[in-house]
Amino acid sequence: MKHIAPIQAAGETVVKVPTRRTLAKLQTRAKVLLAARQLFSEQGYEGATIRDIAAAAGMSTGAVFANFADKSDLFREIMFVDMTALTGAMREAASRGKGIDDILLKVFDAGYDFYKSQMPLARAAFSVGWSRQDGPALRAAEPALDLPAVFAELLLAAIARGELGKEDEVPLRAQMLFDAYLSNYPQAIFEGWTLEALQARSRDQIRVLLAGARLG
Amino acid sequence: MPSRGEPIGPGLSAPPAAAPQPGPAENRPRQTQKEATRNRVIEAARELFDSKGYQGASVREIARLAGVSVGSVFTTFASKGEILAEVMQARLEALYAELDRVLPHLRGSTADRLRSMFAIHFAFEAPRTRLFLAHIVAAYDWTMPAGARPFGKTPRLQDIIRECLDKGVAEGDVDPACDQQEIIDLLMSAYAWTYRLAAWEGADVATLTSVMDRQIGLIAQGFAKR
Repeated sequence: MKHIAPIQAAGETVVKVPTRRTLAKLQTRAKVLLAARQLFSEQGYEGATIRDIAAAAGMSTGAVFANFADKSDLFREIMFVDMTALTGAMREAASRGKGIDDILLKVFDAGYDFYKSQMPLARAAFSVGWSRQDGPALRAAEPALDLPAVFAELLLAAIARGELGKEDEVPLRAQMLFDAYLSNYPQAIFEGWTLEALQARSRDQIRVLLAGARLG
Repeated sequence: MPSRGEPIGPGLSAPPAAAPQPGPAENRPRQTQKEATRNRVIEAARELFDSKGYQGASVREIARLAGVSVGSVFTTFASKGEILAEVMQARLEALYAELDRVLPHLRGSTADRLRSMFAIHFAFEAPRTRLFLAHIVAAYDWTMPAGARPFGKTPRLQDIIRECLDKGVAEGDVDPACDQQEIIDLLMSAYAWTYRLAAWEGADVATLTSVMDRQIGLIAQGFAKR
């Protein structure tokens, strides 16, 4: 590792220099994650086995288990990466919007756009998210909580701008907007709706759900 | 019995065994036996999906509990997904009978009538929350054939909401220009997602109903006549 400068430990703080071993481990993890993403997309969560994932990554199941506790751990890791990226994409989309209706529409859109090329993965995410066994760990994690929080932030910002009236129902309205956003996935997943069709539907949903909060 | 959705399995719209339809005599015993197998499988599946979830219950276990062979389960149903779809369908018959009885007597604003209607739903599903969740999970199940997909097969519920909104238009508290299908979809998604409170937080019927009441309030602001 000649290209990595040695880091001096400042005071008592111990800064870990990535060793060849850690780097190799990171590389292995990345390879497994890539193979797992591919297989979850093709076979769904139930259909993809650790053995298939290991084979696709070109390693032993032992090597996979050395890096991930089990299949659900592996799936969560993929979901967290995506959710964090999606939250960022939604915030970025919101910053381009003008007025709360347009802002929310751009946020919905950013979500559908994010998943349009990986709908099977979105489908697996719903399935795992609702499942009794693996659902709680997926839903309670920070990246999963950040996503709906975006909607509440946007409503509060619109109230601060004087676009929407002050009200007690911000959390419920935000939740319902998030639910409306999610509720369109079955159409996208099973009925192959286009982004344009999803957009038209989202626009109506946003209009109805904001109606009571508008000033005047 | 009103026909709804596409019939998924053989005999879906067949009359109950107590009142056999006159038919070709040589077919009758076989038909009745098939019907009995079907009912036993649905009964056993309801119990197992409720206790073990959709993934947790195998067709073999369902067959064992029903006291029939795995083979005869598969001559009656194409897949586990189809069994679930029929379990859900069978349970809806009772709910719709209750709604048909109550609906003509509902009074008040459109929002209030919708609230009463959904409250009946929650009260009805409460003892079967786990079954309902098995249904939702299965809706996204990878292995389920498209034909057996249970999600959103509730045309009767949609009709009931539409009647409610039409009455509101006639009585003047629903904007005639609003897109009714949009409102129906929003109400149905609010309804379905409210179950997550039961699933994830163990919320009781009173909590589910009050959360739904507030959601209906917000949606009603969107269809109110201005």
